[in-house]
Amino acid sequence: MNETDLAYMSIAEQAALIEKKEISPVDLIQIYLDRIEKWDGVLHSWITVCGERALKQAKAAEAEIAKGHYRSPLHGIPFGAKDQITTGDVPTTMASIIQPDFGEGMTATVVSKLEDAGAILLGKNNLHEFGKGSSVNFHFGTPKNPWNLEREPSHSSTGSGISVAAGLVSTSLGEDTGGSIRGPAWANGAVGIRPTFGRVSRYGGIMYAWTQDTIAPITRTVADNALVLQAIAGHDPQDPLSSDRPVPDYATHFTTDLKGVKLGLVREMSVGRELHPDVDRMLKAALDVLKSLGATIEEVSLPKAKYAIPLQFLTSDPEVASIFVRKWLRTHYDKFDVGTRTRLAAAALVPATLYSRAMRGRALVRNEILRAFKSYDALVTLMNFVPPMKLEDSVEKIDNKEDIATRMFKSRRICTYPFSVANVPAISVPSGFTDETVPMSIQIAAKPFDEITMYRVAHAYEQATEWHLRHPDLEKTVGPALDRAAVKMAGE
Amino acid sequence: MELSKDDVRNLAKAISLDIPESDLNTVALRLSSLIELMEQIEHDLGDEMDKTDPIPPVYPREEF
Repeated sequence: MNETDLAYMSIAEQAALIEKKEISPVDLIQIYLDRIEKWDGVLHSWITVCGERALKQAKAAEAEIAKGHYRSPLHGIPFGAKDQITTGDVPTTMASIIQPDFGEGMTATVVSKLEDAGAILLGKNNLHEFGKGSSVNFHFGTPKNPWNLEREPSHSSTGSGISVAAGLVSTSLGEDTGGSIRGPAWANGAVGIRPTFGRVSRYGGIMYAWTQDTIAPITRTVADNALVLQAIAGHDPQDPLSSDRPVPDYATHFTTDLKGVKLGLVREMSVGRELHPDVDRMLKAALDVLKSLGATIEEVSLPKAKYAIPLQFLTSDPEVASIFVRKWLRTHYDKFDVGTRTRLAAAALVPATLYSRAMRGRALVRNEILRAFKSYDALVTLMNFVPPMKLEDSVEKIDNKEDIATRMFKSRRICTYPFSVANVPAISVPSGFTDETVPMSIQIAAKPFDEITMYRVAHAYEQATEWHLRHPDLEKTVGPALDRAAVKMAGE
Repeated sequence: MELSKDDVRNLAKAISLDIPESDLNTVALRLSSLIELMEQIEHDLGDEMDKTDPIPPVYPREEF
């Protein structure tokens, strides 16, 4: 077993080796630190790497395990956190240059829970500034897709998706308001979920879209994802909107078949749209796999889904802007990226009447989705109608009205926002590759608090395929860029 | 609804936000687009929206 194999292992596999003392958490952390040093100068998936802190904790974990005190399958497992999730003494930059640390000493409940389970914070992952997906320029380097540097790595929890997919950490916590976890999982070939709103505490996340923000993991397998969610879910007195419903044991519900499971294929988020040939091929193959596992699949129409994008922009963005105007937009306007500040400024000017009307619209979208769950155990959609775009095409053209309108109705957002405004759980699962070896995914959604079914369908599908076993060959995809950088430095 | 740069400047003034001249056109485009899209939603769903309460973040007594 070489270091690359260890880096790409699932948490479950790494945990088994740690528990048997066949590898030390110190070794695992060091492998990731070495890989970050080698590759992240190009990938830009990290803003802060707290190597010394992590190694110190790894030594403590090693000693604890040696004494027979093995806390959980996360003991000694390294994790990253999107740099808008507070982490105590490790700064939270929000990918902004307004101030060096927005964390004010807070530690997010999700981070505390992972650390209580024995997991070790490796660092903070790069993101679109303030978690808004509209950055034009990145203050901490432009994140790159490890499969193909010319393709987008998607928006917001971008560094979390890249670092997990590139084998630079075991898992990373992201934040999903509209699709900010599922998008980077899709583009980089990882597993990412948006949990039911209220399933996971939001305390300590600097987010502010208080009706829609969620925190959850990006992982390399579905089982790993369920494992991490299991550790961070549950009621938190510091988040009054967190649910006190019991957290089920997700893994005990995994099955290798889907007999008796009824799936609804959402027309407007799949076959009802013009699909890229590679996506069309992938979807047909994925549906065949689901059917072969015993699931029945019918097409279902959600005509109101198309309103989800503007409804989110008219509700969650003003919620965010209401905080930003007072705290930073009035005083530090020119220190924001132009894409972020013009999006927030527009959101700040949305009249309260429109906000309230849009919240009524969101209720209608949600009701339509909940009605579908009366007939289907889970809904299946694409994560996008096209593969990850060329990097330059993925950046918003902020002075072009047609581009703004296109992004409202034709972008990847139409596949993720409906479940976001409805606050139901959804997961992005790797489902194939384009001819250019860029990842693609399907999405599985379930009714509120039914992460069991969402995970069960996703896990059975994953285990019947081999997509999760493929990892980017960084020597081929990133190596040439390292060589170019070295040549440039030598010539300077 | 096509908002002008002056419209945006005045709206921003109401919340003490000083948007520089170089950004006014982009903010006007973004806000105009949102308002136009909401007009379309009102056209399609307005009557239903009148009969629906705004979405609460959680539904504590709802059975799914």
